[in-house]
Amino acid sequence: MTLPRSDDVTEYLAAFSKSIIDSCEQNLIRIKTLDKEKATKTNFEKTLDKLDFNMLIFNGHGSINSITGHRKEVIIQLGKNENILFGRITYARSCWFASGLATLSKTDQEGCFVGYNIPFRFLIDTRYATNPIKDNTAKIFFETSNLIPLGLIKGHSAKEADENSKKSMLKAINKALKNPTENSQAIAENLWNNYFGQVIVGNSDSKFI
Amino acid sequence: MNEQNTVSKIKVEEEIKELVIARIEATMSPHLKLAIGGDKSLTKQEMIEDIKKGNEVGRLIIQSHLNFIKAQASGKLITALNSVK
Repeated sequence: MTLPRSDDVTEYLAAFSKSIIDSCEQNLIRIKTLDKEKATKTNFEKTLDKLDFNMLIFNGHGSINSITGHRKEVIIQLGKNENILFGRITYARSCWFASGLATLSKTDQEGCFVGYNIPFRFLIDTRYATNPIKDNTAKIFFETSNLIPLGLIKGHSAKEADENSKKSMLKAINKALKNPTENSQAIAENLWNNYFGQVIVGNSDSKFI
Repeated sequence: MNEQNTVSKIKVEEEIKELVIARIEATMSPHLKLAIGGDKSLTKQEMIEDIKKGNEVGRLIIQSHLNFIKAQASGKLITALNSVK
């Protein structure tokens, strides 16, 4: 799992990934994290050379053509090394990349990619910016998206994990709209966009375990 | 006629911008920021500036508001929400 921390956005992505690491440890699943400046293409490829991990989790910025690591170093580049994803289950909390991957003529029969065909978005309560994990507004966006890797770790298929994640987004939207606070509308609207932009590319029946 | 259409289109675009800016003003508290793809999150004021400039981020923000408004108006949102009750 990549955990770059080079700006406020990646700081939040990394902070809210801790529950994924904890779940792996509780389920005795070996996990390798590439933290901060270690989240580079070289380290990523070296890690996979040493051990053929069958699940990959990316946290970081993305585009239609790439997923990046620390300080926006490109780790996966469409047309160059996207083959490394094939045959594995990948979850990428990165913007856009699923839309680029979906245009490839080659489809992944064994594995799949779960990600976003729009920008993944979340809201930050700046009063907690130095301690993201205490930010209950941001937490709504990460608890719902974390259900994808957490579901996969439990043995759910990618399709089941995606559906559970989307159901939890709808429940969170319902809650926000029924109990209006000053930011409810903004929370609902941004969750709705993540709901529609979250997609599976490849074999949605793939399982990690 | 073409000139009239162009003027009308520009007017509608400006009205959409005004609508989204009004929604942002009304629905986001001052201590909230939006992370939407870039390497920094945006304050309310920065979001409004991007919308006014008509840059890529501004267009993305407008699009997300329109998606939500359309989903509310078409009943798509309520149907989806009722499916998880």
